[in-house]
Amino acid sequence: MGVISAIGNSVAENHHALKAVTCGVKKELDLFPSKYAGVLPFGQVQISTETLQKKLAITEPGVTRTTMLAMHAFNEAIADAGLSQPDLHSSETALIGANTVGGMCLTDELYHDANTDHDGSEYLGSYDGASVCLYLQKHYQIGGIINTINTACSSSANAIMYGAMLIQNGYAERAIVGGTDSLAKFTINGFNALHILSPDNCTPFDEGRQGLNLGEGAAFLVLEKEENINGRKIYAELTGYCNANDAYHPSSLSDQGDGPYLAMQGALTAAKLSPGQIDFINAHGTGTENNDVVESAAMIRLFDTPPAFASTKGNVGHTLGAAGAIEAVYSILSLVHQEVYPNLHFKNTIPATGLTPVQAYKKMTVDHVMSNSFGFGGNCSSLVFSKV
Amino acid sequence: MEDDIEQLKEPVDKKLLAIEPSYEQIPAGVLRRMGKALRMGVGTALPLMSQAASINGIIIGSANAGMDDCVKFLNQIIQYDEGQLTPGSFVQSTSNVIAGQLGMISKNKGYNITHIHLGLAFENALIDAMMQLYANPANSYLLGGVDEISPYHYNIETLAGSYKKETVSNKHLYETDSPGCIVGEGAAMFIVNNEPSAAVAKVIAVNTIHSKDIDVVQAQLKTFLQKNLPEGEAIDLFLSGENGDNRTLPFYTACESLLADDTAVVRYKHAVGDYATVSAIGLWYACNILQTQQVPRQMFKRETAKTGYHNILMYNNFKGLQHSFILVSDGK
Repeated sequence: MGVISAIGNSVAENHHALKAVTCGVKKELDLFPSKYAGVLPFGQVQISTETLQKKLAITEPGVTRTTMLAMHAFNEAIADAGLSQPDLHSSETALIGANTVGGMCLTDELYHDANTDHDGSEYLGSYDGASVCLYLQKHYQIGGIINTINTACSSSANAIMYGAMLIQNGYAERAIVGGTDSLAKFTINGFNALHILSPDNCTPFDEGRQGLNLGEGAAFLVLEKEENINGRKIYAELTGYCNANDAYHPSSLSDQGDGPYLAMQGALTAAKLSPGQIDFINAHGTGTENNDVVESAAMIRLFDTPPAFASTKGNVGHTLGAAGAIEAVYSILSLVHQEVYPNLHFKNTIPATGLTPVQAYKKMTVDHVMSNSFGFGGNCSSLVFSKV
Repeated sequence: MEDDIEQLKEPVDKKLLAIEPSYEQIPAGVLRRMGKALRMGVGTALPLMSQAASINGIIIGSANAGMDDCVKFLNQIIQYDEGQLTPGSFVQSTSNVIAGQLGMISKNKGYNITHIHLGLAFENALIDAMMQLYANPANSYLLGGVDEISPYHYNIETLAGSYKKETVSNKHLYETDSPGCIVGEGAAMFIVNNEPSAAVAKVIAVNTIHSKDIDVVQAQLKTFLQKNLPEGEAIDLFLSGENGDNRTLPFYTACESLLADDTAVVRYKHAVGDYATVSAIGLWYACNILQTQQVPRQMFKRETAKTGYHNILMYNNFKGLQHSFILVSDGK
């Protein structure tokens, strides 16, 4: 596993910060000039783009911050899994990535290149979402199936699913799966135009929630068949997954939450588990009026009395295309360490649902964790990870 | 489109634009707000979906759906200096907009996904559909590939040298010895399931690779055929993705050279142009040839005495890096 987020640049740093109840979302933004810098809170990764570039020894032009964050997490994941150069070059090694921003973090360059007929920038090949995995493929000469998925905020949950399906169906022996997104003027202004950015730190599942905070980061996980492990470390088993659509509205969920309900239910069925066997839900919990009440209603509909749950959006912000993968890492940390991390900034339950998320770090028995990711376009996905 | 397959339309301003129908199944108010990729995708899918008994999921490949709205929104950000902006373009800027809208319009709550991996976005969608059908053998899925020539994307790709600088008639595309292709756009949609009785064609196998090495690609094709072409059968027709770009021609020639002399060689990009998810249109051509057993004369690169097309091999090369092989048969 590898992860980089506003609360740390490695799995160990993220784990420590989650246990220490750290909030990485601050009214600081120095990646690019924006009128929202210092005004709205953001979950910015605490490494400048230049430092990242040096640290990763990237010398070629045209590599975006989105790609650098991905590479940082990718490097940690493959080192942790002990993958060799021949492993990466093998036609049995797949790379499945996800993002929503791609090279659109480069607002000014894209504006120039899309509107001017001369002096193209170094980023001409870097704007589309595929550019991240194309760079990683080229850099590491990865030999198997390469893919990029965009289902908005559930993108990397679907990348994890697709990688698992490739292994199950004999298209790959191993799959490196994950997602990345960097903070961008584009998404900041987009979510702001939809009036769903919170002026203060987001308060998922709280009655007074005012919207989401944008964050950035990346995470990658290495999925392998159990029989190929040969004594290497296994963190957890991906036992269930499901993708369903809410089929209601381009940018909000239906009151009854069919998409979230069907995704959670399908993932449970795939894992051959009953609702009572889920010990903890890593909720999507963005802190928007719409998401939290619908997700709560769908949890009540499926679980009757939902298990312990929390959102980590208060720690790192909403990292969009990276969220599913970052939260998969957090879910697995809960399984490995038999503990759960609290939902930050919560004060009062939403009266309509009466649900209270986990509010303090605690040790508990965690055999099965469900992780939810819901996105624009009605795209809802749930994953179930189980202790090995 | 069946009646038009013999017709060739010349590029306009070096672009092969999609001919759009009146989109009768899309309400006018909704249609007006749709970008072209969304319109083409939804407009191609809806008539097909209304013919199908049931559809359990929607699987779309699109490299750049939403790009036009993305830059429109970006232009707003710059022009209004991050002022009060309207979110319409932002919501339509995500690449999953076609699959999302189709789910919404058809009230389809099943599997819904968008693959955006550039020149292999459609191929990954196809692999995904095959995997969904292994897991759920009784299901049917909508599978499609969609991309548009948006002004902004055209500008970026022109700066990157992807297109021919000179004006070329599509009749003479393959005679040019210059870099670049003629850009195209389009949408192709399929209903895929495990039910052979009503099937137009059967996709036997799909294989993809990233490589700039001709020998690696050629070796991959050899392995692909050994593994997937049934003993005693032959490739009757090679549906080549040749696009007139002298930078990728050597790959097509190398793959063609592996095939028997009596394999018909057929090309289609002079008719539809080239773009990231054009293999979806290629697959439509393959299905059409298997169904009608006819190939328009202008599509032949090499016409052979062969009659009866059972197995078609498709090869596509996107920018000399992303390669795909698709084996399609009549299933008989």
